[in-house]
Amino acid sequence: MSATAQSPTLAPDPGTEAGAFAVLAVAAGDELYGFPLSSVREILVPPPVTEVPRAPAQVLGVISVRGRIITLVDLPTVLNLDAMIAPHGRVLLVDNGSELIGVAVDRVLQVYRIEQDQIEYTSAVDAELSDYVVGLGRVPAGNADADEHLLILLDPVALLGGS
Amino acid sequence: MSDPRDNVQQEFLAEAQELVEALSRDLLVLDEAHQRNDPTDAGLINEIFRSVHTLKGIAGMFGYKHVGSVAHALEDVLDDLRLGRTFVSQELLDVLFDSVEGFQRLLALDDPQSPEEEPAVQAYIAAVRGIGSEPEEEEGDPLERYAIEPAVLSVLTEYEEHRLRACIREGLKPYRLRAEFDLAAIDDSIETLRGVAQDDAEIITYLPSMEGGNEDTIELVVLLASRVSELELKAHFEGRYGKIEAITEQTYLPTLPPRLTSIPAATNSIGPTVEEDNNLASLRSVANSVRVDIRKLDHLMNVVGELALVRSAVARIVDSFKGEMKYRQSVIDLDRIGRGFERQLAELRTGILDVRMVPLGQVFSKLARIVRQAAREHDKQVRLVVTGASTEVDKLIVEELTDPLMHLVRNAIDHGIEPMTTREHAGKPGQGTLALNAYHKGSNVVIEVEDDGAGMNAHSLRKAALARGLVTPEAARELSRQEMLDLVFLPGLSTRSEITDMSGRGVGMDVVKTNILRMGGMTSIASEKGIGTKITITLPITLATIRALMVNVASRTFAMPVTAVREAIPYDGDHVRTVQGREVISLRGETLAVCDLASHFGFRTSNHGRGRFVVVGSMGDRSLGFIVDELCGQEDVIIKALGKSLSSVRGFAGAAVLGDQQCALVLDAPALFTEYFAGREALEAMEVRP
Repeated sequence: MSATAQSPTLAPDPGTEAGAFAVLAVAAGDELYGFPLSSVREILVPPPVTEVPRAPAQVLGVISVRGRIITLVDLPTVLNLDAMIAPHGRVLLVDNGSELIGVAVDRVLQVYRIEQDQIEYTSAVDAELSDYVVGLGRVPAGNADADEHLLILLDPVALLGGS
Repeated sequence: MSDPRDNVQQEFLAEAQELVEALSRDLLVLDEAHQRNDPTDAGLINEIFRSVHTLKGIAGMFGYKHVGSVAHALEDVLDDLRLGRTFVSQELLDVLFDSVEGFQRLLALDDPQSPEEEPAVQAYIAAVRGIGSEPEEEEGDPLERYAIEPAVLSVLTEYEEHRLRACIREGLKPYRLRAEFDLAAIDDSIETLRGVAQDDAEIITYLPSMEGGNEDTIELVVLLASRVSELELKAHFEGRYGKIEAITEQTYLPTLPPRLTSIPAATNSIGPTVEEDNNLASLRSVANSVRVDIRKLDHLMNVVGELALVRSAVARIVDSFKGEMKYRQSVIDLDRIGRGFERQLAELRTGILDVRMVPLGQVFSKLARIVRQAAREHDKQVRLVVTGASTEVDKLIVEELTDPLMHLVRNAIDHGIEPMTTREHAGKPGQGTLALNAYHKGSNVVIEVEDDGAGMNAHSLRKAALARGLVTPEAARELSRQEMLDLVFLPGLSTRSEITDMSGRGVGMDVVKTNILRMGGMTSIASEKGIGTKITITLPITLATIRALMVNVASRTFAMPVTAVREAIPYDGDHVRTVQGREVISLRGETLAVCDLASHFGFRTSNHGRGRFVVVGSMGDRSLGFIVDELCGQEDVIIKALGKSLSSVRGFAGAAVLGDQQCALVLDAPALFTEYFAGREALEAMEVRP
């Protein structure tokens, strides 16, 4: 159950054809985000949260997952956005390179395979975010409202303070 | 769980580590004897030789080439030593001590065959080979003074012959003892004989005589050397073992039959069967203990925790049937079984904890080496006094303690204990004393590092803290002497060399304090100028599970280790006074500072009135009352560390899993104490440089 040696980055997923990434798309606040699938260990129904006094603002508290104590963070606060996560969303257990971090999100959409050439590596987003954001990925939306979704692809190591 | 090859490798490293530690311990004893000019203890040299020999053997098997070659070179010089071809000298001891460090470095290498290490290893081997003082000239062979049968002399091994010669030279007289032994228990009997002889005599060898004995017994001729008189020896051995007589020019050992002289001189045994038994015995003793990965014990501890949860769930169900008459008998039975279960569970828990316990002596012997080394570096005379080396603490704590203690010991010698001349001018004994004391105090372990050196100047510490801007001038004026001394633990104060000289202390006291705090311990300091300094470390005995008082603060549950709790009393808001900005109450005529946990943690709460409690915590000689809303009873909890992402958050030792996915934060009483008493400035200073 320890954090694996495999480094969770947006490297091509060995399970896919060369150049494609497997990404887990989630909804948090008003945006859609993509976590590299290789970094996501588990998706949980939110367990009871124990608040930690004097913890940094993005820390919602700690949760107990089968006897392990895991820090739970609020994605919008980490990204410095003003949005609320629904209390009955989901919690992702994400490997940040040194420990598992719980990330509260509203909804989990699906896994997408994104081709290298579908990723925009421009810093079209907020400059402050650019440290955490790898790029923007376009994925087919599959509904009538829009042709495609824009996923903000996150770097879990930079985002969640791993090493 | 992991690659079996890795496991084997780990086994090797653990065993090698143990051998190197044994080597280090024995060398210290040898060094001490040498400093006192005591005669060299032959048994000890043998012990050292065996450690190195075994190390060489296993290093070869696991491809630790460099370790093997160093051990090989050492083995040669140790062999010379035990055969009297060379003698213990300062130079030799230095080389031997270097080897301890050398082995540890070589064992830590990722690549045990690394060619980069080759020059260093060769240089060391050359240094070892360079040693070898010429043995003293002998004035005639002492063996010739005694009429020992040539047939006996010819079967003595080189080592035995050397010992006999050395004993005679030291004025011991050779004796021979004829005794009959039961064949079946011969090893034990000889061990007993060795034990009896130990103080009075040294057993050189034993050989079977062909006289006496029958199918089940054998008569041995034991050749021994003794410094006590024949009469005393007789009193000791005769009757119990057999006849003893002094070897003079008139007496001869019985002629040995030719069959025996053909036994190779190198074996020290009566016959092949006996030797086999010997080996079996040593294998058995090894098999009596096992090495266990501490993670396996952690896992067992988790299982015990889960069992406790199951037990309380069952108890709850039993409780719900209590009112109903028709289940009365079953409820009583279940209750009884439940209590039995709980007892066994407690025993299981104690058993597992017990396995994790190791004596502090493990760390102390490492420190003894540091003391010797540091004293030589600084050309100071230091006597190390250790008490309580058998005090047991959790293995994890022992591991974590090594670095902080090493630091404290170095500091005490570098900066505490003065050079000999300075000490003599001050009317102190020229040799400084460094004491390491360990003892249990309640469920804590206390470790003291005490020196009789120069001590610290509290006022220079304050001046330094002011100069660095670590305290405000106003705060500095109000500091008590103790608070001034405590400044030494602030980061940034003790890292500058000019402060070091002024304060008489070295770098990194803040690091020591932080490391101890991380284990849930506390560091305190006492120092008198000119008299000495004492650093006291108070630690919990184990980290795995603790008994905790569950408290409620603003509707949140916290666990407070009972070790830190003295008592809990009802809180009366009307009797709170304010002294120097701190809230205090009176408790049996004494003033007790109180800290409202809700406001300390920044919880919004409407409960300021009655019905609350003060949990009085004590740490060392300080007390502090924590105001809580509710007491929820005691529970045994397993503390889990908070993740790295929360390492900057102070005041919590971890979290305890309560079952049903709930968890409670465990209050870190020592940290809260420190935080409260150190005041704002200190806290902020700590947060700048974690």
